Amino acid sequence: MSENKGKLMDKVKDFATEIRTHWDTPAEGKYVPYKEYKDIVFAVGSNYAGSKTLEYISFASACYLIMHHYKLPYLTFSVINIINMPLNYISALIWWFVCDNLGFLPKKTERKLNAVYLGMIAFGLSCIFFDWSSLFSQTSTFITYLNGLEGMTAASCFKVFGTHFLYTGWVGARNIFWRKKLLPKYGRYKYSLYCDAIPKCVMVILIGWLPVYNIPDVATRVWVANLLFACFNVFGFANNLETCTKSISPNLQERILVRSYPIKISHIFNSILAIILPVIIGMLRYEWADINVYRFVIPITFVTAVCFTMAFAGKVKERIPQPPIEKKVQIKFWDGMFGVLKNKYLLINTIVGLIDALGNGMLPFVTILYLYTFRLSGLPYSLIVALISFAGTPPDLLSPYFLKRFSYKQIMIFYQLSRAIGNAAIVCAIWFCGENLVVCGTICIVVLFFMEMTKTVPTTAGHDMNVRIADYQMYLSGERLESFASVYGWFVDPIKNFIGLLIPLFLLTYGFNSNWEVLFIDASRRNIIAIPLIVDIIGFVLMTIPYFFWDYDSKKQNMVMEVLKRRAEVTEKKAQEEGITTSGGYKG
Amino acid sequence: MKKDKKIKNQVEEPIHLDIPEDEIWTYQIEGLAAPHIGKPYKHYTLKKIIFAITIIIAVSLSVYFSIRTVQKETFEYENASQGTYQLSKFGNTGYITELDIDYVTEVVYDQNDKNPETNFSLVKDETKKITEIREYAFNCDGVIKVVNIGKDVEKIDSKSFYSCWALERIEVDEDNPYYCDIDGVLYNKDKTVLINYPCNHDNYLREKYGYETEPYRADAGEDYIRDIQTYVVPSTVKTLGELCFSYVNLRNIYLPEGLETIGSLAVFKLHEPKDQYSNIASLDNIYSYRTDSVVVDTVFTSEEKLGEVYLSLPEGLRIIDSDAFSYNQALTYVYIPDSVTFIGHHAFWDTVYKEDGELRGVAQMNSALDEEEFKEKVQEGDQWLPQYDYLLFKKSIDVVYSSERIAK
Repeated sequence: MSENKGKLMDKVKDFATEIRTHWDTPAEGKYVPYKEYKDIVFAVGSNYAGSKTLEYISFASACYLIMHHYKLPYLTFSVINIINMPLNYISALIWWFVCDNLGFLPKKTERKLNAVYLGMIAFGLSCIFFDWSSLFSQTSTFITYLNGLEGMTAASCFKVFGTHFLYTGWVGARNIFWRKKLLPKYGRYKYSLYCDAIPKCVMVILIGWLPVYNIPDVATRVWVANLLFACFNVFGFANNLETCTKSISPNLQERILVRSYPIKISHIFNSILAIILPVIIGMLRYEWADINVYRFVIPITFVTAVCFTMAFAGKVKERIPQPPIEKKVQIKFWDGMFGVLKNKYLLINTIVGLIDALGNGMLPFVTILYLYTFRLSGLPYSLIVALISFAGTPPDLLSPYFLKRFSYKQIMIFYQLSRAIGNAAIVCAIWFCGENLVVCGTICIVVLFFMEMTKTVPTTAGHDMNVRIADYQMYLSGERLESFASVYGWFVDPIKNFIGLLIPLFLLTYGFNSNWEVLFIDASRRNIIAIPLIVDIIGFVLMTIPYFFWDYDSKKQNMVMEVLKRRAEVTEKKAQEEGITTSGGYKG
Repeated sequence: MKKDKKIKNQVEEPIHLDIPEDEIWTYQIEGLAAPHIGKPYKHYTLKKIIFAITIIIAVSLSVYFSIRTVQKETFEYENASQGTYQLSKFGNTGYITELDIDYVTEVVYDQNDKNPETNFSLVKDETKKITEIREYAFNCDGVIKVVNIGKDVEKIDSKSFYSCWALERIEVDEDNPYYCDIDGVLYNKDKTVLINYPCNHDNYLREKYGYETEPYRADAGEDYIRDIQTYVVPSTVKTLGELCFSYVNLRNIYLPEGLETIGSLAVFKLHEPKDQYSNIASLDNIYSYRTDSVVVDTVFTSEEKLGEVYLSLPEGLRIIDSDAFSYNQALTYVYIPDSVTFIGHHAFWDTVYKEDGELRGVAQMNSALDEEEFKEKVQEGDQWLPQYDYLLFKKSIDVVYSSERIAK
C-alpha cells in the first residue's frame, strides 16, 4: 500500500519536474512548451466561449431572436438558400482560388478579382435601392411565382438576390486584402480574428438594438432582416484558435494531448457561461422571448470574450511543416480541383455528409424537449444542459487511450450506431409516454446523457481525421487545399439542398411555421419531433457504410509527416542558397 | 503479442524516410496515391469538360427540383367523401385578403392589369364542392382578413386557422347546417362550441365602432375596452374549442354557467400593444354569468343583461385542458369551482411573475374543494399550477383550498 503511494508520489514529482523543465522549451521530439498549454487554455477558452455565444444569433428559424421577434416563415429560409445557390457556386470558385493560395496572387489576377468584387457590390446595392421587379410584367409567370413564395414578394426576392451579391463582393474583397496584410504575421488560421473582432462586436450590438423586427409587412421584414444578418456575417469570429491548435505540432501524439487536456480544460469557460447565461435570461420577465437578451446579455458576454481572446491569441502558434510563402507551391485553379478529387478520404467524408443530409431541416429537438415539453428555464435549464454537457468530459480525458486502443474506423462506426440507438430510444419515449412528463423526461435525459458520453471521443477522432486528411492532401498536392476540398460540396450540396427541403415541408403540414408556439400543442409536437428523428436514425445507420473503406492509419500518417518535413527542409535550404528572405515556413 | 493486437491505432516507433532532394515532390508512400505536384494531368481538357458538365447537370437538377418543391400552390385540395374536396393547404399569393371556401378555386391573372394587388381573380369550379378544411390549412397566413365558409362545409378543424394574424372575420353561409358565425366569430350550428375568435377580430370591431387607431394598453379608455376588448360567450356554449381565443386582443371574457369544457390553448396568450415595439398580456378578468334567458348577443352592454355575474370560472365547468390559460400575466384571480374534474398540464403556465420582489398575476390558486377532495376528485396534469422564480429555481404558487369565491 505504502509502496504504491510512494510510486504515485514519485510520478507526481516526475510530472512536476517535467513541467518545470519544459515550461519554456519543449522536450526532444515535441514542439509545444508547457507554457503554451497555459496560453491555449485562456486563448481557446475565451475564443470558444465567444463563438458559442454567437450561436444565439443566426439567420435561422431556431434563433431565439428570429423565433420570438422576427417571426419569419419557416420555408422562407429555404427559399433564400435557393435564391443564393447559383451565385454561391460562382463565388466559391474565386474564394477557393484566393484562400488556397493564401491570398498571394499575381498582381494582374488580383486587380481582376477586385474589379469583379466591386462590380458585385455595385450590383447588390442597385438591387437594394431600386426595385428591379418593376421592370418585369407583373402578371408574368416569373413574377407571380416569386410573389407566391413563402414570406416573399417579387420585389423582396430581388433585394435578397442583391444582398447576396453585396455580401459576396464585400467578403471577397476583404478576403484578399486582409489575407495579404495579416497572414504572414499571424498564420493561416488566426489572422481573421485581428481584422474581424471589432466590427463583429459592433454588429452584435446593432443586431439587438435595431428594431427591424417591428416592420409590419412580412416580405419587407424578410429582406431587411436578411440584409442585416448578411452584414453581421461579413465579419467572422469562429473558433479559430482551436483550429490553429489542431496543427499545433507535427507530432501526432502531441496533437492528441493538446486536444485532450488544455483544449478540454479551456472549454470550462464556456461550460460556466452555459450555466450562467440561462440563469440570467431566466430572470428576465419574458425569459428567452425578452429582447433584452439581445440588447444586453449577449453583447456584454461576447465583447468580454473577444477582449480575452485578443489578449491571448498571439501566444498560440501554428506549426504545419510547410515551405516558406516565397517558395510555396502555386495552385492553379484546375490543379486544385483535380487535386482534391484524388483524395479518397475526402470522398468518404463527403458521402457520410451526404447521408447525414437526411436529417437536414430538422428542428433542434433537444431545445424543443427542454423548452416546450418540460418548460425549463433559469437554473434548472442550466443544470440539465450542464449535466449533459459534462457527460462528455470524463471520456474525453481518456481520448488518448481510446484513440490508441481503437481504430478510427471502429470509433466512427460505433458513433453512428450509438446515435441511431439513442435517437430510437427518444422516439419511443416521446411516442409511447409523451403525456407523462416525468417518465418521458427521465428517459430522454438519461439517453441524452449516454449519447453525450459516447460522443466526445468520436468528435476528437473526427477532428484528427480531418487534420490528417489535410496533411495527406498536402502530401498529394503540395498544399492543404482546404478550400478546394469544398468542390465535393458542388456535387453533393445540390442533392443535400433538395433533401433538406423535405423535412421543412413535412413540418409545415403539422403546423410548424413562423410561430414556434405550435409546439405547445401535444399532438403537433410529437409529430414534429419524432418523425424527422426516425428519418435521422435511418441516416445514422447508413452512415456506417462509408467508414468501412477508411484505411488511413497512423503509420501512413507518420510517413506523410516525414515527407512534409523533408519538403520544408529542402525548400528552405534552397531558398537560403538562392539568397531569398523567407517567411511563414516551418520545418518541424 | 495479444497486447500488440489490441493497439490498433498507434505507431510509437519513429519513422525515417530517406528521400533524395530531387524526389521531395514525387516520393510515393506505400499504400497511398502518388503526389501530383506541378505535373500536367492526362486527358486534361477532357477531364475538365466532364467535370464541368457533371457540375452543370447536378446544379441544374437541384435548382429545378428545389424550385418545384418550394413552389407553393395557392390552393391544395384532397379528395373527401362522396366526390367532395378537402381544402388541405392555402398558400396566399400575397394579395388575397378575402376568400370563399365553397368550391374548388383557382387563381386566374388578368394580363392587362399591371397592379399585383388587383390583377387576379379567383375562379370557382361549381361542380367541385368543398366539405372539409384540414388542420393548419391557413397556418400563419399574414394577409387574409375575411373567410367565407360555404353551405356545404361540414368539417372544420379547430387548428385550420391557427396563427392567421390578419384574420378579422369568419363568415358562414346561413344555409350551412353544421356551422354558423356570430358577427365573424365561428361556432358550430347550435352554438354549443365556440370554434374560432379570429386573431385580428379587434381590427374589425375598431372599424365597426369607428375607432381609427389601436391604442396602447395604458391609453385604452372605458368605451374602447367595452366595445373592442370585452366578449360575451353565448349562454348556449358548452365548449370553448381548442385554440379558440388564442392570441386575440381581449381584456374581459364573460363565460356562461353551463360551460363544461375549456379546450387546449383555448385562452392562450391574449395580448395587446404595450408600445410601438412590444405587446403585453391583455386578459384582465374572466367573468361568469348565470341567467335563465338565452344570451346570444356577444356584445357587452351591461352586466344586468347577463343576470348574475361573478368572478372567474363558471360553476359546472368540468375540464380545463392543457395550456388553456397559459401566458396571461394580466390575469389576477382564478377560482376553480368544485365541478372541475380535470386540469391539463401547464393549464395556467406563466401567468405569474415577479416584479419588485412581489408576485404579480395569478399569485395564488383558489379552489372550492378542500385539499383531500381536490386530490381525490381532480385529475391533475403536470405543472398545471403557475410557477415563479424562487432562489434560482421555479416554485409553484400556493393553492388555497376550501376557498370562497371573492365578490366582484
